[in-house]
Amino acid sequence: MPSAARSHDPGATEAQVPRRRLLAWLSSVGLFGSAVLAVVSDLVFFKPRVTYSPSARFSIGKPDDFPPGTRIARDLERVCIVRDGNKMAAISTTCTHLGCIVSISDTGFACPCHGSHYDQDGNVTGGPAPKALPWFKVNLAPNGELEVDKNSLVDPGTYFNV
Amino acid sequence: MSAPTTKPPGLWTAVRELPSNVWSSVFRNPLPSSDLERAQTSFTNFFLHLHPVKVHRNTLRPVYTLGLGLISLFLFLILVVTGILLMFYYVPSTTQAYDRMLDLRGTVAFGIFLRNMHRWSAHGMVAMVFLHMCRVFLTGAYKKPREFNWVLGVVLLLVTLFLSFTGYLLPWDQLAFWAITVGTSIAGYAPLVGSQIKFLLLGDTTVGQEALLRFYVLHVAVLPAVLSLLVAIHFWRIRKDGGLSRPEDGPAKAGPTVVKMRIEPKTRTFGLQGFVRGPFTKLGNVPDDSVYSWPNLLMAELFVFVLTVSIILVVSLLFNAPLEQPVNVMHPPNPAKAPWYFLGLQEMVSYSAFWGGIGVPTVFVLLLFLTPYIDRDPKGVGRWFARERLLANTLFLTLVALNVIFIIVGTFFRGPNWTFVSPF
Repeated sequence: MPSAARSHDPGATEAQVPRRRLLAWLSSVGLFGSAVLAVVSDLVFFKPRVTYSPSARFSIGKPDDFPPGTRIARDLERVCIVRDGNKMAAISTTCTHLGCIVSISDTGFACPCHGSHYDQDGNVTGGPAPKALPWFKVNLAPNGELEVDKNSLVDPGTYFNV
Repeated sequence: MSAPTTKPPGLWTAVRELPSNVWSSVFRNPLPSSDLERAQTSFTNFFLHLHPVKVHRNTLRPVYTLGLGLISLFLFLILVVTGILLMFYYVPSTTQAYDRMLDLRGTVAFGIFLRNMHRWSAHGMVAMVFLHMCRVFLTGAYKKPREFNWVLGVVLLLVTLFLSFTGYLLPWDQLAFWAITVGTSIAGYAPLVGSQIKFLLLGDTTVGQEALLRFYVLHVAVLPAVLSLLVAIHFWRIRKDGGLSRPEDGPAKAGPTVVKMRIEPKTRTFGLQGFVRGPFTKLGNVPDDSVYSWPNLLMAELFVFVLTVSIILVVSLLFNAPLEQPVNVMHPPNPAKAPWYFLGLQEMVSYSAFWGGIGVPTVFVLLLFLTPYIDRDPKGVGRWFARERLLANTLFLTLVALNVIFIIVGTFFRGPNWTFVSPF
């Protein structure tokens, strides 16, 4: 019992009280800090370092597979491959509103979930979608196949010449 | 010290008295026949001691509470039991979950019936918790000293909704997949942390195996544990806050006149009862409007329990829980609709994702949390639609009506591409 000991100890001075207060303060900070650390490490734990979804970079075939004028939606990868003359582009088909897959319509794209409409280039023409459909980078891989990289966006209207 | 010992009973006597000895070691009191024994029964039985020894008559009036809180609890118990049973046959895997749903239909004994019970109880619990909240508001029961229990109740409503939402994904059918795709995208609209929350919730960038596993763990372990703890505190607070809300006691009714109420000085202790704050610590024979919990409250609870279970059983026999086509990540159903209680939200989301999905609901929930701290007027507690509470009740009912209208529009008036259609 420290308090009892102090009261019987003639050598005890007032200096011990601030020291005790400091110790209490430090332990509180330590406890609180540990709690914060625990929460932070939980968040780190819950954030996966590796995801198991398909790669964001994928091959779509040779340029000849897409004759000029093609607009093909690849729903598995959620892109629409567009070929206009010799220019090719990949437009996202994930609705910018709430993540449904938009389908190709007469005027561009239409979302089945909340009724957003986009034009041929993915600009919003109606509905609740807040922004245009993004365009992904298209490249020609060394093996002669086209490659779409969903991790790199390009400005809408940026085509890849084949 | 050698005390005079009585001879221990012989072996034969012990064997002969075995049943009654075991019985009386478990149940310390015989079935009560006097008020003292009723009180003792309440104190010495683990399950009964959750109850007060006596409850106010107003608490037992069916038209006051409508039993909504109790019904919610019993639905939760049904959900726990049927949920655990369903866990024995369910696999949270994108390749197996849907097949397991079909197995419930085809091969598992009572499988379809258990799934029906689980689904209808879940819908029922969302509805009952919401109606319970309406009851508490419209009777002004959130006022001092019950402010914190109201806050707990709002949290319980949110946890209930989240439980229902996480359970919605598990069948891995089209309805599940697209409802969760839409729902988690709404979370993604939250400012600053939205996209991180969505990523943590899904464990990936899109709804897939990781999301199914995460929702499963949340649904069967994390959220039920959180809900159980909060429910326990919610109930505990009811007693610590002095029982259910009720109108103030009027002047003592005619009866034996009490000259003086005896309050014992603090130096004396009267066991547990003596420590309990609230209206039941009176000593002296003051006539009040309370009755013994055994059997009055217990019978009321039993009645609500039997009623709840019966309705769920009948509904589960008559109607099958819906199961749509297996997930096709390439073809959202058109229109893709959330569960009915989120359809008001989805309807608002169709105007603006941020305001409908995040802005308005956040303001609404904040208003609910702050209600007892904004409305400090102690008048009008314990009566439905008290005249003193006309403004508060009107505001509340307007918001409720708006939500209901949005739900009805979203459910019946929205067709393909979320265009306006007439159901007639």
